[in-house]
Amino acid sequence: MAQLRLVNVTKAYGDYVGVRGFSLDIKDQEFLVLLGPSGCGKSTTMRMIAGLEDVTSGEIWLGDRMVNNLEPKDRDISMVFQSYGLYPNMTVYENIRFPLKVRRVPAAQQHDMVMRAAQMVELTEYLDRRPAALSGGQRQRVALGRAIVRKPTVFLMDEPLSNLDAKLRVSTRAQIKNLQHTLKTTTVYVTHDQIEAMTLADRVVVMNRGEIQQVGTPTDIYDMPANTFVAGFIGSPAMNLIEGTLANGSFTAEGLRIDGLTTAHSGNVTLGFRAEDATITRQGGQIAAPVYSIELLGEASMISYRIGGALVSVKAAKDYRAAIGEIVEASIPAGICHLFDTASGKRLGAA
Amino acid sequence: MRHRTFFAFILPSLVVMLLFIALPILSVAYQSLFIEHEQAMTAVETCDPFGCKTELRVDAAAMEALREAEPMGKFNGLGTYANSSHLAFDELAAIWRDSPSLGVAFTRMLNLPLYKALSFTLAYTFIVTPLVIITGFFIALGVNAIPGLIKGPVIFFSLLPMIVTPLIGSLVLFWMIDSNGILGASLQRLLGDPSLTLKASPTLTWTVLMVYGVWHSAPFSFIVYYAGLQSVPKDTLESAMIDGASRWERVRYVIIPHLLPLTTFIALMQLMDNFRVLEPIVGFSAAANATSLSYLIYNDLRGAETPLFGSAGATSMLTICGVIILLSPVLLRTWRDFNRKTH
Amino acid sequence: MKNRAERQPLPLMLLCWGFVLIWLITAAFPFLWTLWGSFKVEADFFSYADWMNAVTGTRTIQQTGSAFTGAGYEGAWVEQRFWLAVINTAIVTVCVVVISLTIGTLGGYALARSGFRYTFWILIAALIFRAMPHVTLVSGYLLPFFQLNIWGYLPTTIIVLVAINQPFTLWMLHSFFLSIPKDLDESAMVDGCTRFQAFRLVIIPVMWPGVVTTGLFSFLLAYNDFTVTSMLLTQENQTMVPKIASFLGTVQAENKVMYAVAAVVSAMGPLFVLVLFFQRQIVSGLTAGAVKG
Ligand SMILES: Nc1ncnc2c1ncn2[C@@H]1O[C@H](COP(=O)(O)OP(=O)(O)OP(=O)(O)O)[C@@H](O)[C@H]1O
Ligand SMILES: [Mg+2]
Repeated sequence: MAQLRLVNVTKAYGDYVGVRGFSLDIKDQEFLVLLGPSGCGKSTTMRMIAGLEDVTSGEIWLGDRMVNNLEPKDRDISMVFQSYGLYPNMTVYENIRFPLKVRRVPAAQQHDMVMRAAQMVELTEYLDRRPAALSGGQRQRVALGRAIVRKPTVFLMDEPLSNLDAKLRVSTRAQIKNLQHTLKTTTVYVTHDQIEAMTLADRVVVMNRGEIQQVGTPTDIYDMPANTFVAGFIGSPAMNLIEGTLANGSFTAEGLRIDGLTTAHSGNVTLGFRAEDATITRQGGQIAAPVYSIELLGEASMISYRIGGALVSVKAAKDYRAAIGEIVEASIPAGICHLFDTASGKRLGAA
Repeated sequence: MRHRTFFAFILPSLVVMLLFIALPILSVAYQSLFIEHEQAMTAVETCDPFGCKTELRVDAAAMEALREAEPMGKFNGLGTYANSSHLAFDELAAIWRDSPSLGVAFTRMLNLPLYKALSFTLAYTFIVTPLVIITGFFIALGVNAIPGLIKGPVIFFSLLPMIVTPLIGSLVLFWMIDSNGILGASLQRLLGDPSLTLKASPTLTWTVLMVYGVWHSAPFSFIVYYAGLQSVPKDTLESAMIDGASRWERVRYVIIPHLLPLTTFIALMQLMDNFRVLEPIVGFSAAANATSLSYLIYNDLRGAETPLFGSAGATSMLTICGVIILLSPVLLRTWRDFNRKTH
Repeated sequence: MKNRAERQPLPLMLLCWGFVLIWLITAAFPFLWTLWGSFKVEADFFSYADWMNAVTGTRTIQQTGSAFTGAGYEGAWVEQRFWLAVINTAIVTVCVVVISLTIGTLGGYALARSGFRYTFWILIAALIFRAMPHVTLVSGYLLPFFQLNIWGYLPTTIIVLVAINQPFTLWMLHSFFLSIPKDLDESAMVDGCTRFQAFRLVIIPVMWPGVVTTGLFSFLLAYNDFTVTSMLLTQENQTMVPKIASFLGTVQAENKVMYAVAAVVSAMGPLFVLVLFFQRQIVSGLTAGAVKG
């Protein structure tokens, strides 16, 4: 059973807390993605799982073993690093074979295992080359090959695609997804790219400042952000967030009023909606304001307004045109709105 | 950069090097073909109350005239190279003829001044260089493992033997190993052999000189390796940990390959520096038991009443040949790399 | 907080400590011993009977009445006129450093910025020159210098040391210049500088660390040289190192070894101060050549 359980894991560097109270159950064969802005503690979490970093407090369980005090090599995991961590003095073949060699796998089996791994990552033509003579994408595949060659119980990948160009990233992403599906190995994957997270993950963990913000399927996270941080981080563009006050089911902010919100709350709240949920209308819209800018995205046009201090965007049809400064109305029905408590940032139930 | 600008920038540097490095080499080559004039003697009769006698005197006027006419000395061709204090062909032939066995021939050969110096120079170069590399490597590993706070002072003290003037460094050690010095006296007492002195034992002299060589140069390889250790790719090291490599396997497969190019660099520098060993021989007053090629030249120029330019020139040319042979692997490799890059 | 990759098991830790400690003693003890001993009389510093004498200064107390004596220093500096050698050394080192750096930065810059085939050959030639034993060069200087009547003077020695130093200086500055992006001088030239102005106004200001480091090594070479200074200078113009060497002959015979010990300690002083203040530069200089490997 390759179940991975983290209980209240905390990592402190002196006074600075890198990861705080991280608790999570990762199911067997699950593809879990850690997502968050730079410096939020994703790598630290992963390195604690790998055993490269000691945990300050808390427990890490792999199956039914508590692995806190095990050396990395005794945890039966494998890891792909952002800059690959290949051995520059060895050929591709030797690189992939290295884990087998140092683990004293019988020599007779080594060759077959290496060849199988090399086939999976499509490297059979390059086995005699050194890493220096490979392209970024090929190096990345060597690192993958080295990770899968000995069938570990858990894969860890720390931003494995971030050094690749945009096109290669898409194809390698698909390859990783497919590999994981074939091998059925529990995988923890770190990224700060939400598209990667959305496309790859069974479940996503959104982190900020060392703490978990939300855990859920990509759809959950997108449709029901647990707080303003997640709302503002996920989606492109991110959710529009407007601060205002709520009373009797009516939200008011400077230049904006939305009625009919089914909620019992009142007071200072933050209202959120996604650009693609709102629509441009001729009349009767909740927003009637001058256009701040218009961006043509190809598949749509993006209209933005300045409401209060915030920039609010609304998606329009791709042939929609408006001049900057022109007054345009947008409809924001209560049904598309999300409400958050301004003070705590937490989502307010039943919008 | 245009050729003109390039040369304008590099000219001073180039001129100095040509004038004071390339030209002297030519001058040495030329001067090695001459030997000093023989003393011109005249018979002088001196009379005193007890009678008259004739004696031979150096004729200063005649010498002056000779020097005036041929300032370089007398042309000798390659004679100096072949004479007994250089390649000593005649002596070698005699040894070859007379020696009962190869071993004896070899021992006798090593008594000839040039071969004696060559043997020490080579031994010094090829024993000290690897020892410096190994010692420096282990110091670097050791220092890398201790807490950061005390690394600074450790590096400070480590640098001293290298930074200090070689002559001064060897004097400092020499006074300690002197039979009245702290090490010498303790050693005599420890081994119960009061006759044990640097002068008495060639083996001891060689050992001490080489110990000095390692002491003097180990900091260099230590620092280079230590800097190299700081740049070992962390990702690769951690990959190796996860792949299951033990501590030694990490050193073997990640750290040593990473430091290998540095080893070439250290070896090159050390070979060049050790081949010209001179100061320790002067500092330890070790010339009786150990001389080097550089020392022979130094001695020709300083030891004799008038400098023996011809002899020094010949030894210098032979030394330069030695340096070229020593460097040839590096030069060949660089040349091949360069050609591969440009074609 | 140590990360796991750096953590060592206890026995290995002890081994490291032990090894480093032994090395430290080997490296530092001779200097400390000599420094301490230079304030004793000869009978203490070279005490066959008991080395503890040198620590406590038994004979020193007997002979001078106090445990420390400056007699060695007085003898060396005043009687043997060591101060003259100190002044000469100061002149030689300062001049060598200044001239070496001036022509070296120009040359190193040119080598780093031009991609001609002959730059490669100049660098290789410099490497070969660097390998020449200094004494072979000196044997080439003596005769011409005698004939030109420039032997024995400080300027001659200075220019010779500059030349001997040049190959190393060129290599080192060349690699420092390579680490400065070409864009910098190219943008300066687009902005209207000549090549030389770009070099002087834009490159040199950002090159200071490299220049300082190289200067340190030029200083060490000039300061530590024995071969050139001992053969090219008259008695009167001698610098410290040949002066100490000549002490060995004269002073040792007169039972005044302590003069030499005091002179040696005096000559070590500036070097220690140098390492103390410029440790970082020395370390970076030693590795500058290696990084390019
Ligand atoms: N050795 C350390 N000492 C002190 N602070 C550290 C150390 N290592 C990491 N940190 C801090 O811990 C925080 C989390 O770092 P981490 O590497 O996990 O971020 P990340 O989420 O992986 O970011 P990125 O996306 O940029 O890789 C950072 O703010 C970092 O500054
Ligand atoms: Mg990271």
